[in-house]
Amino acid sequence: MKISNIKKEYDKFALNIKSLEITNSVQNTIVGATSCCPNNEQHNIYGIIGANGCGKTTLMKIMAGIIKPDRGTIDNEGLTSRDITMIFRKPYLLHDTVLKNLLYPLKIRNIKPDNNEIEMLLNMAGLENLTNKYALTLSGGEQQKLAMIRAFIFKPKLAFIDEGFSNMDIESVALFEQYIQKTKDTTWVLISHQISAIKRICTNIFFMSKGEIKAKGETIELLNNPQIKELKEYLQYM
Amino acid sequence: MLTLQMTLLSTAMSCVIGIPLGLLLDKARFPGKRIVVLINRTLMAAPPVVIGLVVYLILMRNGPLGFLGWLFTFEAMVLAQTILITPIICGIVYTASQRSASNIRAFAITMGASRLQTQFLLIKELSNEIYFAAIVGFGRAMSEVGAIMIVGGNIRYHTRVMTTTIALLRNRGEINQAIFLGAVLMIIALIIQVIGGFLKRREERTDENI
Repeated sequence: MKISNIKKEYDKFALNIKSLEITNSVQNTIVGATSCCPNNEQHNIYGIIGANGCGKTTLMKIMAGIIKPDRGTIDNEGLTSRDITMIFRKPYLLHDTVLKNLLYPLKIRNIKPDNNEIEMLLNMAGLENLTNKYALTLSGGEQQKLAMIRAFIFKPKLAFIDEGFSNMDIESVALFEQYIQKTKDTTWVLISHQISAIKRICTNIFFMSKGEIKAKGETIELLNNPQIKELKEYLQYM
Repeated sequence: MLTLQMTLLSTAMSCVIGIPLGLLLDKARFPGKRIVVLINRTLMAAPPVVIGLVVYLILMRNGPLGFLGWLFTFEAMVLAQTILITPIICGIVYTASQRSASNIRAFAITMGASRLQTQFLLIKELSNEIYFAAIVGFGRAMSEVGAIMIVGGNIRYHTRVMTTTIALLRNRGEINQAIFLGAVLMIIALIIQVIGGFLKRREERTDENI
C-alpha cells in the first residue's frame, strides 16, 4: 500500500502524511534491506507510535478504508476491501454467540469453515469452552481475543491492529505475537503504547507527532538511536 | 377485527417507509439535515387531530386525492395512521442509528462486507431498536382516536374501531361497556407483545463490562 499527500482535518491537528509505504517483503522496504526480524522471518511488521491524539488511529482508519481523507491518494496495489481488515481498541462484536462472531467473515465470503482451524484459533484465544456464550458478555480481554481471531480466520493480506492487546493477559499477548510473527502472508500494522511490544515484534516503525510522520525506519535503530527531538521526548518515559 | 387490521397494516407500512428512512437519515450528509431532523421530531409530536385534518383536506372531494374516494373509508384511516406513526418509527430508528450505526458500518468494512451485506447487518444488529420502534408505532396506531374519527367518520360496520367505539360509548354514558372494550384492547396489546417477543428471539443480555 502506498499513500501520498494525505490530509485530513480532525480534532486538534490536521493529519498531513506526505508519503507512506507498506510492503510485506523486508527487501522492498523504503528504509533498506537489512532484516531486524527475530528468527530471520522475512516479512514486515509495522508499528505506529506517538502520543495520544497525534493521529495514529485516524491514519490507520484511512489506510483501512474506514474514513476517507480530505485529500490525497491511496494505492492499494491490487488489494480489495476483502483483503484488508482492522481490529479496534474496543472491538465491535455482533449481538450473537462467540462462534457466530468468529464465523461471520467466512459466512459473508461463502467460505466453508475449517473445523481444525476454528479449534486452533479458539484454543489460542482460550475461548474453546465459550462458543455458545453471548459475545457481549465476555470480559474485555476475551472480547479483544475474539476480535483478533475473527480477523485471523479469513487470512487478510493487510491487517491493522489498534492497541488490540491492551486488555489481554501476558500469556495471551505472547501467543498472539507469535501468531503474528509466524503469519508471513499477512502484513501487519500495529498501534501500541507498549514500546517493549513494538521492539519485540515490529520490524519497522513510524513515529507520529501532531498529525505528521516525524520519523520512520527500522525499529531497533530508531528506538535505540532517536535523532529527532519529539521522539527523544516520547521515549524518555520508556 | 377492523382495529387489528387497521393497526397492523398501518404499522407495517410505516415500518417499510420509516425504518429505511431512519437509517438513511443517519448515514446521509447534506445541507439542511438539521432542519429535516427537526421536522421529523416535530412530526413525532404532531397532534393526531391535526394529521387527521390534513388527510381529510387531501382526501375530500375537492382535494388533490379526492378522486380516490377514500374519505370515510378504511383506506383513509390507514393512510392517516401511517402518516402519524412513520415519523415516530423513523425518529426512533434514527436515534438508535446515531449511537451504533457508524460502528457497525466500520466493522462491516473491516470484515469486507458488501453494501447489501452491510445493510442486512445493520438491520440485524439494530433489530432490538427496530422492534422497539415498531412496538411504539403499533401502540400509537392502536390507541388512535382523533385522526381516524375525522377521516373515518366512525361509521358503524365500516370505520368504527374499538377506540372510536369507546369514545362513543362514553358519550352515551355506557361506561361499563366502554371499560370492557378498553380491557379487550389491552389484552390484544399484551398478546401482540407476547407474539412479538417469541418472534424476536434475540436474547437480551447486558454488557458485563459497563
